[in-house]
Amino acid sequence: MSEEEKKSLWQNIRETVYGMAAHDMSRAALRTRASMEHLFILITMGDLLGIPILPPYYSLRLLPYVVPQIATWKRRMLREKDAADAMFG
Amino acid sequence: MGFKDVFLQHPERRYIMFGGGGGVGKTTFSAAAGYWLAAHGKKVLVFSVDPQASLTDIFKKDIFGKGPVPIMQNLWAQEIDADKHIKAYQQEIRQKILDMYGLPAVPEEIENYIQAASAEPAMEERAMFDAVVDVVMKGDYDYYIYDLVPLGHALYYLSMAKVYDEWINKVTKLREEMREYEEMVSRLQHKESEQDQILKELLYIKGRINTSAGILTDKTKTAFFFVLIPEAGVINDTQKAAKLFASFDVPLSGYVVNRVIPHELLGQNIPDYLRHRIAMQDQHLGKLHASFGDQVLARAPEMERDVTGLPMIEKLAGIMFA
Repeated sequence: MSEEEKKSLWQNIRETVYGMAAHDMSRAALRTRASMEHLFILITMGDLLGIPILPPYYSLRLLPYVVPQIATWKRRMLREKDAADAMFG
Repeated sequence: MGFKDVFLQHPERRYIMFGGGGGVGKTTFSAAAGYWLAAHGKKVLVFSVDPQASLTDIFKKDIFGKGPVPIMQNLWAQEIDADKHIKAYQQEIRQKILDMYGLPAVPEEIENYIQAASAEPAMEERAMFDAVVDVVMKGDYDYYIYDLVPLGHALYYLSMAKVYDEWINKVTKLREEMREYEEMVSRLQHKESEQDQILKELLYIKGRINTSAGILTDKTKTAFFFVLIPEAGVINDTQKAAKLFASFDVPLSGYVVNRVIPHELLGQNIPDYLRHRIAMQDQHLGKLHASFGDQVLARAPEMERDVTGLPMIEKLAGIMFA
């Protein structure tokens, strides 16, 4: 078995183990991370939704970094909630 | 101990602040202290954090928004233009957005937010404090003399500094938790995690807030003087404020009394009106000494004319630092 084949076999084993053991965990972690991101934008940029947030002077410094997330964040914050959210959200 | 002794015995106190009610002479004393220190070979910057600053009047020189302006050898004065500072700051944010995402223009919604944020009243005050942090951190001078805003406003600043501090701590903590999740995912996926730029900015902001609040409460480097005049209302207000300032850990160095009518006048033919004023002031000064004792460091007389321009400032400094 060549060095390359060995490497690819090892890679496959690694990915399979990851898929079986850790994929769900990282998905859950990423999901929590995404919820926190929205919470973070809310407590720093709440003014964008009309929720007054304390020091806009400092929020402005963070604004450039959250520009791409603002649209999804607003959609999520302003979306109608129903029972299904609690079950599957 | 006299006023001069505070400076001679504590040369490490480089941040000198004058606080007090409106119109008691904070600017006058800031200018006089700046003059005396500069005349003794120290490099001094007198600056105002009041949007209605009056350094321009006292030094008879237009200094508003012009950076540190030389007044005499070793002495500079600065009045910060908060509006200018805010405009430059907004522009910096816009440019950053354009550069980061290669956009031709800032998206409308974001632009609206930038505009609305600057309309907040807290914006001006924060911009002012941020500018002060810039000035102080450069460390170009031996002494920094703060001509402060009137009492109530100064207390509001102090209490807000605590609120901001808590806000930034909470936000930073959340961000750090987010970071932990990110690192966990990176470990699971065997990837390198990227540096969190937002966390970096938050730590920077935290540093700025702590610097501006830290100077106000630094016992080794700061001397805070209350300026007051011998009138019942002013003395009462100052007593109340002194308690509140102490609760914010402001290192109080003493009290200086302004506008005391000279006793020598009693030997002259003066109207009853003036005699009564002198008797009234004596009574209040007695009370003042009873409550503050040797913390009353200097008395400045009611001058024969406005204290503006260097010759009058020199005269007053000579009396204060006698």
